[in-house]
Amino acid sequence: YNFTYPFSSSISTANGSALVKIGNTTVICGIKGELTCPPSDAPNKGYIVPNVDLPPLCSSRFRPGPPSEQAQVASQFIADVIDSSNVIQKEDLCIEKGKLSWVLYCDIICLDYDGNLLDTCVVALLAALKNARLPEVTINKETDLAEVNTDKLHHLNVSKHPVSSSFSIFDNTIVIVDPTVEEETLSTAMMTVVTDEDDRLCMLHKPGGSALSGEKLQDCISRAVTRHREVSKLIEKVMDSFEPDK
Amino acid sequence: MRDGPNTHVGSMMDVAVSPVLALRKFGCEQSLLSRPDGSSSFVQGDTSVLAGVYGPAEVKISKEIYDRATLEVMIQPKVGLSGVRERAQEHCVRQTCEAALLSTLHPRSSLSLILQIIHDDGSLLSCCLNAACMALMDAGLPMSCLFCGVTCAIEQDGHIVTDPTSQQEKESRALMTFAIDSAERRVMMSSTRGSFSVNELQQCVALSQRASEEIFQFYRDSVRRRYSKTL
Amino acid sequence: MRETPLSNCERQFLLKAIEEKKRLDGRQTYDYRNIKITFGTDYGCCVVDVGKTRVLAQVSCELVAPKDNRPTEGIMFINLELSPMASPAFESGRQSELHVTLNRLLERCLRNSKCLDTESLCVVSGEKVWKIRIDVHVLNHDGNIMDAASIAAITALCHFRRPDVGIQGEEVTIYTPEERDLIPLSIYHMPVSVSFSFFQQGTFLLVDPCEREERVMDGLLVIAMNKHREICSIQSSGGIMLLKEQVLRCNKIASVKVCEITELINKALENDRKVKKEGGKFGFAESMAKERITALKSEIAPVEMIDIEEKAEDIICRTGAPCDTVPSPVVRAPGTGQVGEGLQNAWGLDEVEEEEEEEDDIEQGGPEKQPESETITSKKGDVVVISDSEEEEVVILHQGVEVKDFREEMSSGQKQATSASKKKKKKRKLAH
Repeated sequence: YNFTYPFSSSISTANGSALVKIGNTTVICGIKGELTCPPSDAPNKGYIVPNVDLPPLCSSRFRPGPPSEQAQVASQFIADVIDSSNVIQKEDLCIEKGKLSWVLYCDIICLDYDGNLLDTCVVALLAALKNARLPEVTINKETDLAEVNTDKLHHLNVSKHPVSSSFSIFDNTIVIVDPTVEEETLSTAMMTVVTDEDDRLCMLHKPGGSALSGEKLQDCISRAVTRHREVSKLIEKVMDSFEPDK
Repeated sequence: MRDGPNTHVGSMMDVAVSPVLALRKFGCEQSLLSRPDGSSSFVQGDTSVLAGVYGPAEVKISKEIYDRATLEVMIQPKVGLSGVRERAQEHCVRQTCEAALLSTLHPRSSLSLILQIIHDDGSLLSCCLNAACMALMDAGLPMSCLFCGVTCAIEQDGHIVTDPTSQQEKESRALMTFAIDSAERRVMMSSTRGSFSVNELQQCVALSQRASEEIFQFYRDSVRRRYSKTL
Repeated sequence: MRETPLSNCERQFLLKAIEEKKRLDGRQTYDYRNIKITFGTDYGCCVVDVGKTRVLAQVSCELVAPKDNRPTEGIMFINLELSPMASPAFESGRQSELHVTLNRLLERCLRNSKCLDTESLCVVSGEKVWKIRIDVHVLNHDGNIMDAASIAAITALCHFRRPDVGIQGEEVTIYTPEERDLIPLSIYHMPVSVSFSFFQQGTFLLVDPCEREERVMDGLLVIAMNKHREICSIQSSGGIMLLKEQVLRCNKIASVKVCEITELINKALENDRKVKKEGGKFGFAESMAKERITALKSEIAPVEMIDIEEKAEDIICRTGAPCDTVPSPVVRAPGTGQVGEGLQNAWGLDEVEEEEEEEDDIEQGGPEKQPESETITSKKGDVVVISDSEEEEVVILHQGVEVKDFREEMSSGQKQATSASKKKKKKRKLAH
């Protein structure tokens, strides 16, 4: 593996943020909480809105303008990871049923693109969510208006810790973990496995490409499990290192 | 499926023993549209997808690839415009088709595959894959293998259901769609939702491989039927 | 992709044939092609075939706030989509001139003729009304999209049922179909458009032009009318001058055609209702799907002998039987699962060491980390150097590699990684 390193709290204006590097790939994630009305079909839930941005800055392959297909696919992937893994219970984001809830905008911006974007994004998202602190909000009974108490900040309740591991597959014989951009373009297929701390799979995302047998899949999954331990330890360590100061 | 799937071993997880474990009726019709070079409609239960293929044809300079054909996949939802979710599905279908197609035989040309959702009643992505494969076949494009899509849902109680309806999808704990290739029955594409254990995953993979046999048989029968008159 | 151009000889042939009052498909000048209407399994969905032109229409509804100037009226929204499937010339996401024209024509035909009782769509005046949305997708373009679209749209509207709503105080609840029956829309009249194409400066006229005829025509006249012979919209395009008599003659033809088509629509709707009633709730979906397939079958099979039709019926593929004798994943899972477990165990051991190392790290590096992370940018250089050295640590998995080797490789890789992390931290400390 190339080395992963999350730095947290790098953006002061966001509620939570993290910068993650895997090899040369650098991704920054900012989380901004806003108050909104909960969705009418699920009045006790909040929203999480992820967005992955691949600006022309990160690689010459991206052009300015509307989000590229890859960026849209990555956004959808992150949204699916959030949904599937229940990283945050959406019920926790509700302040008052049917009236007020949080919407978390998770903006992930790639600063340097050198392959393995999805892994980096997931680590960044997780680190940023763990780092995020939202102010306390109460609803004033008389005026029916929300009052934000910015002195009281509390962490989000991160219930699951999904970590993803990407593999590049070359004709079903060679599997490479954590591919760089060259490896990604040369490979015949990509696969991303997302696991949580109970060794359950949240996602097995393989968008086409050359075929893979069940045994190979299993290999990759066990690699992903070990990878999960590695990364979650890393995040924990970084998080712990903050706590005493605050 | 190289290590005999037929051997019975005491199962750790119950494989659902119920009539629910079946593929719904499926049907297919090829070359039903006059304009596209290849077209098909695939029906699985109530879910229905119409596919059209154009190409190989002239390609836009900006999209030209010097050593193979450029494949574009578009999924058109029934109501409204296509969004990010469709984009992700398009991505999956495109990469699956790219792997199956021998696109190097048509360098500097364009292939476009358009999928129109006629009705969604669960297992939509697998229906899209099946329709796509039939349309590519109908267009007579060279392919290294065929592929088919199978959707499995794991219910709250751990039972596995193949080819779920949208009602079953909603109630399920996890949902997986696989694309299986016809050559060695391996997994070409996988897309999942919800969390599940490794064991459940492998069960679903094996189940999909089993179900794929039926679909490939269906492919064979329909193609045989299609060309029976001209022989 | 560009449309295949029409060659000069084709063009001349077509024009010549029209002059001789002959058409490519053997129709007479005032004949329509075969019109076929099939309904989907849910309400408000229908596919209309006019010859080879095929159009799909779907009606949907939602509760929205009404427009400010019309607080008691529902909203009707029409969207015609020229799917790239219909013709290689259509591109998705780009509004072509044809697209805009057709959308506008359809809007005039349906909305401006007030065929739908929009006031009945009001739920709470000024607050909530139903918005009826009609999506029309052109699936195959073989001329005369407008007529096919208008038939599809009005049929779908007639077929559509909206859910019932209940108002209690301020709360508006939408009842599910199980709780209360769905309600059909109230339609005043059914406008249907009829297209005429003119050739040779209006000397020759054809009803329901096909795609090739459309390409050589000089002008087009579209008349939308209901069966009471009330004109809903009339538009002439293509820049030809028409005499009053010509328009009146077209009008007369249109009124006949509209009556025929309206009758067909009503018959189709009636038929669908009957099938639904007979099939009951459960069998309805099945019978509809079957019917649609057989309908297509009978339509296409005689024309193209090569066409296959699926034995959707006889192949009710029961993978059930083989499937429930498949405990095979279990065979595989413990086998392969063991690999995972073995690895985990190995990791468990490693983790102990790692933890110790890490604890040390945290003790030393922990407190200093906070200030460092604020000055990341200044230390970018360090990071880059390190990542260079790590590039070699990419682990390659060979299929044949034994589990043990694999494990060793992994753990050594990990150790290197941790040592690298240490190295990194030290460097950062120095820099600090």
